[in-house]
Amino acid sequence: MTAAQTAGSVALVRESADTRPLTVSDGDLARAIAAAPAGAASAEESELYRRFAHRVRLYGLKHLRDDARADDLAQQVLLVTIERLRAGEVRNPDEIGSFILSTSRILAASSERKARRRERLTVQFHVQDLYAAPAVESVDIEAAQRCLHSLAERDRRVLILTFYAEKSASEIAETLGVTGTVVRVARHRALERLRECVQGAKP
Amino acid sequence: MTDTHCPAPIGFADVVDYWAGDLTRPEEDRIEEHVFTCADCARELAAAEALARAIAAVAREGRFHSVVTDAILNRLAADGVRVRTYTLDGTGIVPCAVWVDDDLVVARIRADFAGVDSVSVVTRLASGDEIGRLSDVAVRPGQREILNAISAAHLRKLPPTRVRVTVTAPIESGERTIAEYTLEHAGAFDRLSGER
Repeated sequence: MTAAQTAGSVALVRESADTRPLTVSDGDLARAIAAAPAGAASAEESELYRRFAHRVRLYGLKHLRDDARADDLAQQVLLVTIERLRAGEVRNPDEIGSFILSTSRILAASSERKARRRERLTVQFHVQDLYAAPAVESVDIEAAQRCLHSLAERDRRVLILTFYAEKSASEIAETLGVTGTVVRVARHRALERLRECVQGAKP
Repeated sequence: MTDTHCPAPIGFADVVDYWAGDLTRPEEDRIEEHVFTCADCARELAAAEALARAIAAVAREGRFHSVVTDAILNRLAADGVRVRTYTLDGTGIVPCAVWVDDDLVVARIRADFAGVDSVSVVTRLASGDEIGRLSDVAVRPGQREILNAISAAHLRKLPPTRVRVTVTAPIESGERTIAEYTLEHAGAFDRLSGER
């Protein structure tokens, strides 16, 4: 079972005031978790998770190329982060983002140990009911299809080669007979146009 | 919420290059370090990832009309997309049809592209109605064919009809026709019943 499945199987978001987004800085949030007795800063822990889980998930998608493993990484990194905060082992709470990134890098590199560690931490710290699966931004596929077809053929081909065939800019440049720089500029402009089109298509 | 106004945003171009894997390792590190301290730029990255995922989903379901490459066809095959291919080499009328379980139809358009940098490919029905136009299709030196992919779902809507494919290249005074092909489209069929 993946972390996402685990997270999705329990009531994760409580409908109480303390689950509303907090307005404190990331550093203050980390300090509040570190200063509280274990389990007493559940609102702050939920907020930390809400702010960072999707970033860790994106990091995992980028480096692990797998949705389930990225979900697992997000769950595990935030569990480890909270464990370290509670233990007073995060030296500079103002740099909690950098701490979470470092933890993501380390844990992504040791994926074979992740599942076992997550299970142990979940039991040890009783935090499984605080967290939801990371929020995942999504695009309506019908709108994406329609907007993709509104692009120039060459731009459409660049986007499909990049994000479906997973070809680099230099590989695409070879196909199109242009430079890698031309491909990169065309790609980001095309994706920007696609983004505007999809956003414009939202009800 | 914190960090709502990034003083030094990464920029969407760099975010896209990062997600596409076209940055160096130090450049990737810089992006990641920023994203983990900036909610605004994290949202930009999430937006790029969502768009990339949507593009892949559209392609994976064969829901597009575009020139493709063998790399794309190989990826589609690996993903289980059912691709029906016809070869247009100008030697006669090409009989064709689309079946209920086809996802994508690819026309391998073969011609002499010598001296041509780009072409347009226009597909018209016998009625004259245009059903597809690909403009400014890049042609590499020595290239002998263009792979024109069309969603099978789109083609299933067509009645039995003759279809004309015209390939043109731009010239100073307008454009010149490089090749023309005729297909006899028999319509959409159910593989098991053989019925339309």
